[in-house]
Amino acid sequence: MANQVGRNSQAQERLSQVSNHLSGASSRKGKQALLEKHPDDIVVTCALRTAITKGGKGGFKDTQAADLLHGAFKALIQRSGIDPSLVEDIAVGAVLAPGGGATEFRAAALAAGFPVTSSCKSLNRQCSSGLQACVDIANAIKAGMIEVGIGAGAETMSLQYGPQAVTEFSELLEEHKLAADCKVPMGVLSEAMAKDKGIPRAAQDAFAAASFQKAVEAQKKGLFDEEIAPLTVKWTDPKTDEEKTITVSRDDGVREGITAESLGKIRPAFAKDGSIHAGNASQISDGAAAVLLMKRSTAERLGQTIVGKFVQASVVGVAPLLMGVGPAAAIPVVLDKTGLSKDDVDIFEINEAFASQCLFCIKELGLDEKKINPKGGAIAFGHPLGVTGARQVSTLLTELKRTGQRIGITSMCVGTGMGMAAVWVAE
Amino acid sequence: MLEFRTQGFNGYGIKYSPFFDSRIAVAASANFGLVGNGRLYILGLTPNGIVAEKWFDTQDSLFDTAWSESHENQILVASGDGSIKLFDITLSQFPIQSWQEHAREVFSVHWNLVGKDTFLSSSWDGTVKIWSPNAAASLTTLPTHSCTYSAEFSPHSPSVLSSVSSDSHLRIFDLRTPASASNHLTMSIPIHSPPKPRMGAAAPVGIAPSEALSHDWNKYRDSVIATAGVDRVIRTFDIRAPGAGPIAVLPGHEYAVRRITWSPHLSDILLSASYDMTCRVWSDGSAMGVGAEQLQNTVHQDPMFLGGGREMGRMGRHTEFVTGVDWCLFGAEGWCASTGWDERVLVWDCRAVMQ
Repeated sequence: MANQVGRNSQAQERLSQVSNHLSGASSRKGKQALLEKHPDDIVVTCALRTAITKGGKGGFKDTQAADLLHGAFKALIQRSGIDPSLVEDIAVGAVLAPGGGATEFRAAALAAGFPVTSSCKSLNRQCSSGLQACVDIANAIKAGMIEVGIGAGAETMSLQYGPQAVTEFSELLEEHKLAADCKVPMGVLSEAMAKDKGIPRAAQDAFAAASFQKAVEAQKKGLFDEEIAPLTVKWTDPKTDEEKTITVSRDDGVREGITAESLGKIRPAFAKDGSIHAGNASQISDGAAAVLLMKRSTAERLGQTIVGKFVQASVVGVAPLLMGVGPAAAIPVVLDKTGLSKDDVDIFEINEAFASQCLFCIKELGLDEKKINPKGGAIAFGHPLGVTGARQVSTLLTELKRTGQRIGITSMCVGTGMGMAAVWVAE
Repeated sequence: MLEFRTQGFNGYGIKYSPFFDSRIAVAASANFGLVGNGRLYILGLTPNGIVAEKWFDTQDSLFDTAWSESHENQILVASGDGSIKLFDITLSQFPIQSWQEHAREVFSVHWNLVGKDTFLSSSWDGTVKIWSPNAAASLTTLPTHSCTYSAEFSPHSPSVLSSVSSDSHLRIFDLRTPASASNHLTMSIPIHSPPKPRMGAAAPVGIAPSEALSHDWNKYRDSVIATAGVDRVIRTFDIRAPGAGPIAVLPGHEYAVRRITWSPHLSDILLSASYDMTCRVWSDGSAMGVGAEQLQNTVHQDPMFLGGGREMGRMGRHTEFVTGVDWCLFGAEGWCASTGWDERVLVWDCRAVMQ
């Protein structure tokens, strides 16, 4: 049977090859074309992150986002061996920082050792900001605007999460139905969506428990060690109010011994008869991540080790109240753009904002659950909003490499109703 | 025109024997080469038409074939399962040797025309391999990192070979160079580079890269190679000036060009086979007297047309994609054979189709 499947896909590949000859598509598509190496490929030569820690309690609870970013930058320079003066632009995704964090992130870049000639911007596409930062840099390289750049994300939900992150809506917006939907809290709309789409609590709890179990196992096996850059920070002990200096090198939100049954006992958070609670939604967290991007020809010239390549990204809008379906909308678009079928993809890193929406997307797309978040996801170790998109890159590429697989997709739903997805190839 | 039906098998490659003017080999595949068996036909041209003297069935599709240059009864096939097989046509059924190293479909095989003791293969796995019929493993592997549809030894040197691949590049390898530096790669010419600007024609614009499917060394001018592929255009390059762009550009085919081959008799004549179901005969305009008048006429028509070449004639009797075409090396110049997905082999005289 396995052999049969192989034969079918072989016939499919031969057929798509002939059809490529006929269509004369100048940009070839499909798995085979994707795996080829070209000098103008946009490649990743280093992708890393800090640990992700629990909001309000974890190791980074007293550390500013810019300081986390500074730590990620320093580790990136040191690990990749890149000459900082070659980095022409840095994009940092951040959601909660006042003013987008533009000022302090530029300052963090300078403090980390980038010269004044390395420019830096911050950007905010809600939960996909980190991915958007990588895509912006990749596109700027592709277009020839810059040669070497960094896509990053930084967030401190401990210090900046709260109602001040959204401006009051004007009367004009409040009176427009769709516009007003944009400020419905995530939990409330996800609860409504879970009910609407018929995702039972039991399934959500089972999915969430699996995320914890996968993350625990990955942590035990040391599967995160390669991607995490340890960071030494100041931390105030809540019991004694004593300030200590600690080194944080593991995700402290990952808890052992969580099962679907134990999650079943938690009271729902957003509605009495609801299904969503703290155990099957993403954690509030702090962290930073950074991805170094350049053309393959540049990487070869500089002697940088290529760990993967960025292929293509998609962004799609959906109804604000159904923001959780974002990945289900964005993944088919990126598959179509690249000529891949879902079976060609070895790993999907789909952000677990809520177990309900992630499950819905998996079902809607008919994905194999074994391919989803093999090391666990945001339910287990957290979703520092602007970081996640950049964090997924290192999580994905290290796991693809470890398992000898090639093609991965990172995707997430985006608040106010969007989905984003990107295709990556490990090398 | 003579005809033979490869019933149930769609043609992929055709080669005249270098030893006998009446013997032709055809590599064919069931189900258009997508899935299923392959079959190698050994055809004889007799007073009673074309007869199948022998055939060999293989497990997977066959995409190309090449006669041994040193042994009149031996012939290679390139198979979809990544293997290369050597058959002795005096035996029946089984190959006398099989080599399995390529990870993907093998698309071309070619015997060393000068050294005669080695042959090569190219594959979808992004490599060209050099083999000896006496060795169980390949002698050399040359990476191209790109689906390589066609590779050939130079007809002028035993250690120079070339390939074209889906990354739109013509590569030249010289086995005399040290392997360490770049795996014998001595030249990599972008096929899509535009022709040099010239008087009286619009400046060439950027041309998108496209898959190159076929190429061939000129048999008389030892530095000239023709290439063709998905962009429907045939180009010739002079490898003495790799940066100069094409020296002749021949547009005309309506779909991708699957195979091209230079005449063994005339230095400027090319034959092509295309997905547009035609075979066409071309002059690249290099022969004295042919180009001059043509050049004058074409310069103002099409900035892409270059070198004063022209289409000399076409054969449109195939009813499906034409995938293989080859010249007869013997007798009156102009005889050739073609095969395609219409399950037919046609043997014809190109002088009959020339205008």
